[in-house]
Amino acid sequence: MTTAPLPTETAPAPASRPRNFTRWLSTTDHKDIGMMYLALGALFFLIGGVEVLMMRLQLARPGNTLLQATTYNEFFTLHGTTMIFLAVMPILLGFSNYLLPLQIGAKDMAFPRLNAFGFWLTAFGGVILYLSLLEGPPDAGWFAYAPLSERPFSSSLGTDFWAAALLMMGMGTTLTALNIIITTVRYRAVGMGLWKMPLFSWMVFVNSFIIAFALPSLSAALIMLEVDRALGGRFFQGGGSPVLWQHYFWLFGHPEVYIMVLPAWGIISEVIPVFSRKPIFGYKFVAGSTLAIAVLSFAVYAHHMFAVGFARPVNLAFAASTMLIAIPTGIKVTNWVATLWKGSIRLTVPMLYAIAFIVQFTFGGITGVSFAVLPIDWQLTDSYYVVAHFHYVLMGGTLFALLSGLHFYFPKMTGRMLSEGFGKIAFWMITLGFNGVFLVQHALGMMGMPRRVYTYPDLPGWGALNLFSTVSAFVLALGLVLTLINIVISWRLGRIAGDNPWGAWTLEWATTSPPPKGNFVRLPPVKSSRPLWDLAHPEDPDHQRPPRHDQQGHIRPEERNHER
Amino acid sequence: MSDNPASIPPIPRVSQALDVSRLPLPPGHMDASPRSNGFWGMAVFLVTDTVIFLLLLVANIYLRRYSQGPAQGALDPGTTVWFSLGLWASSGALVLADVFRKQAKLSGLLYLLTAALGLVFLYGQAQEYLHLNAQGATVDADLFFTGFYTLTGLHGLHVAFGALALLVTGALRFGGHLGRGREGFTAGLGLYWHFVDAVWVALFLLLYVWGGP
Repeated sequence: MTTAPLPTETAPAPASRPRNFTRWLSTTDHKDIGMMYLALGALFFLIGGVEVLMMRLQLARPGNTLLQATTYNEFFTLHGTTMIFLAVMPILLGFSNYLLPLQIGAKDMAFPRLNAFGFWLTAFGGVILYLSLLEGPPDAGWFAYAPLSERPFSSSLGTDFWAAALLMMGMGTTLTALNIIITTVRYRAVGMGLWKMPLFSWMVFVNSFIIAFALPSLSAALIMLEVDRALGGRFFQGGGSPVLWQHYFWLFGHPEVYIMVLPAWGIISEVIPVFSRKPIFGYKFVAGSTLAIAVLSFAVYAHHMFAVGFARPVNLAFAASTMLIAIPTGIKVTNWVATLWKGSIRLTVPMLYAIAFIVQFTFGGITGVSFAVLPIDWQLTDSYYVVAHFHYVLMGGTLFALLSGLHFYFPKMTGRMLSEGFGKIAFWMITLGFNGVFLVQHALGMMGMPRRVYTYPDLPGWGALNLFSTVSAFVLALGLVLTLINIVISWRLGRIAGDNPWGAWTLEWATTSPPPKGNFVRLPPVKSSRPLWDLAHPEDPDHQRPPRHDQQGHIRPEERNHER
Repeated sequence: MSDNPASIPPIPRVSQALDVSRLPLPPGHMDASPRSNGFWGMAVFLVTDTVIFLLLLVANIYLRRYSQGPAQGALDPGTTVWFSLGLWASSGALVLADVFRKQAKLSGLLYLLTAALGLVFLYGQAQEYLHLNAQGATVDADLFFTGFYTLTGLHGLHVAFGALALLVTGALRFGGHLGRGREGFTAGLGLYWHFVDAVWVALFLLLYVWGGP
């Protein structure tokens, strides 16, 4: 056997690839497609951010007249659709695309051209959505509740553009999920059993099954909506059932929450062990609880419809299932915290985001459970409490995890480090800004402020809290702009990263940064979930480790203070 | 923190070893080979497709009990079964084509025949639509027909797309332009076509034959 020396931290600057624009149009390399997804997501994140800043300006003081009511409706519809389908999902698909083949030791996805096709479908979907600006944008909210989204109440073509865009993007996402499933099943490195995959790959893999079952539900609903709107069908109007739209939409919509948050959890599960210098606590529980979430995410969908007026047993069943889903989620949070416990914690920027994620996501999860209690839900539904809750989950949870992943994987993707100083300033602005925006909205919701209103009367406290929320939104936006500047500057001028700047143990860190075409020149042997640890510590590899507990179930003394 | 090992021993490139669809196969042993990527990719895609058809079917079954317009009786299963037989027969032609392909015999004409039978079905469906519309059973006339046109229309689109792909496959195979490297594509297309046929069995029974709840 020949051996190859590992490049050290003083590796030469990454060779620049040919700067040829058409390369990006025709590429089928999963890394290029991943980067394109990330860029697409960042672009639309900016657009969606500008939209929400306009909304926050309008809400800054009572009785404001900056935006008209209809304009405000269009803004929140575009903001919701853009953020979910064009910002968060492309960014997480970007991470999945980039990292999954690297983590499992494959050279590319199973269907590289289908992968590129999925990206372009998503991108064209975004173009179609924003072409609606020429015809009058959609204004029925991102759930497009029928009959509000039907022709008589939403007569511009905006909703048709919206439906077409979502159909395209949904198809692109489904094809990518299919690709991920086949890639994971067939292209894992020799020795990498399912239970040895890195946790990010695990969650993306399970996530793809959720996508495969959830997004068709959206497609079916959109087809029905378009049959109604374009051909005069009667699914949701003229004797049809508006509640049917809600069923199908939320049968997609609730799993969608987990579609957005599972890869984020995967990133957190990668970041926390690395910066605690410990293996993840309870690997199998972190991975396995994902399966429970995948099943339960469909079983809870009608908790979005408690106010529709179902029979009591139906409501109770969905309330119970909603509380049940807190268990696998809690298992994950517990395991992350247990990983931090007695670790040698390094407070780098990715780790800061990960810790903020745990705090904020837990808070959002708890307010989520409060909605499972029917009387509370009836009281608070469609108030700003809901807005605060889902932003705590989707922004405090997903966005913070994505930012953590961005800072963590930037060296792998570009070969250069992001500036820590810039990163820390941006982190504090984003964290304080975010909590400033949404923490007070819980109070506003409990005081009765309804969501989706373009203005409000000058009731005691409402004006001050809303102003605080608006100012915080601008602090948050500034922090995000600072992050973007950090990325642009560090891409050219950042410190050279080397292969494994963080000292991580999964396969993607075994190749160069950025990885070459085909990803690996040679793969290390995979015998446990941390192949690089096994290589670095032949005297103490994971796969030869005796059980941590003795026969009586006590932790063996030599395990107690053992840094793994 | 520099725990990196000094060296990494080489191992064979795994992804290449696993990519069975590109491995050369001994002649006459195609049946024993593992399924290709194309087959499994199509299988997952069809699962998602099944969910769409299932949900549309559920919507139709749920809504038809509130139907007050022209009844389901406007449909004529007796005529429909004739052009449906064309579609079902095409699955038989496809089975034969796949057998020929696996024995490395000429299969191009059989793929073209499969596509042609699919086009017969589409012609029949177009005639049926015209007939129904003339009777006033249009999309906007009735809850039942909204679902009926959506389901059969979506299925018709599937047939049209599959027939097109089969025409291309047949023509390429006829000219000898589809080699061993593309077996996965043909296998996936075959699975797709059988699925579309099976969906039509379900749609025919539930829309034309079954009277509803």
